[in-house]
Amino acid sequence: MDDEARLARALGAPAAPKRDAAFTLGVMREAERQRFRRAWLLSLLRTAGVAAAGAALAVPLMGWAPGNLAALQNGLLTAGSLLALVSFARIMSQRLSIAAR
Amino acid sequence: MSPHEEARLIAAARRGDSRAFAALVDAHQQAVRGFFRRFAGHWAEADDIAQEAFVTAWSKLSRFEGRSSFRSWVCGIGYRIARDARRAHGRGAVRDNDWASVHDDRDAAAPLEDRIALAKAMAELPDDQRAAVALCLGEGFSHTEAAAILALPLGTVKSHVTRGRERLLSRLRGDD
Repeated sequence: MDDEARLARALGAPAAPKRDAAFTLGVMREAERQRFRRAWLLSLLRTAGVAAAGAALAVPLMGWAPGNLAALQNGLLTAGSLLALVSFARIMSQRLSIAAR
Repeated sequence: MSPHEEARLIAAARRGDSRAFAALVDAHQQAVRGFFRRFAGHWAEADDIAQEAFVTAWSKLSRFEGRSSFRSWVCGIGYRIARDARRAHGRGAVRDNDWASVHDDRDAAAPLEDRIALAKAMAELPDDQRAAVALCLGEGFSHTEAAAILALPLGTVKSHVTRGRERLLSRLRGDD
């Protein structure tokens, strides 16, 4: 056998195994793991952002609240009412859309 | 897989259909793994690179423009991952070939001593040259496809293949 043929045969020796379902499964598992990690990091960043904003608001509020208790009470009541109104509207719209189907 | 079927699967995978992407992995894994086994020498490392290439491909699928085949695009991603890893870890360690893998492949028609000599000679080629040889002579990619995968000019790829082939031949003859 000449050298060209030897090289062709050695290069042609199968390097990849037959199609392997375990490899495909491994790829999909790893992709899912990375997607979960990205989603977890995003949610962590979002929570940290909200917490930082809350803390930034709380600090001046602590100084202002003792001298303005009535205004604080009014504010809390208004916010609570708004929240209740929005929640009620959402529940009603969900029920109406279910009933319309 | 027909180009039409491949395009359909790519479009579905872009919309987040994991089954479509799994079908693409299934269809192209042999060529991609084969290339990295020839390029990296170490078979377990090669499969890790191939896996990372496919995972990266899925996360960047929106950037795939279809100028090359999906198979070539994934090989290109994996090649850059492998090359960067080699640069980071030093070349000496990665040239340690997986001789057990060569021995295990009992069905191959080529004599074992030729395959060992070839694996040694491949390991001694520069990265770009080894990749060009593995793609064009090992996996049957065209020079144009290899140029797209390796991000090299076509003439450079042709010269890498010719020179690499000469070096492998001289090693098989026992000239070195």
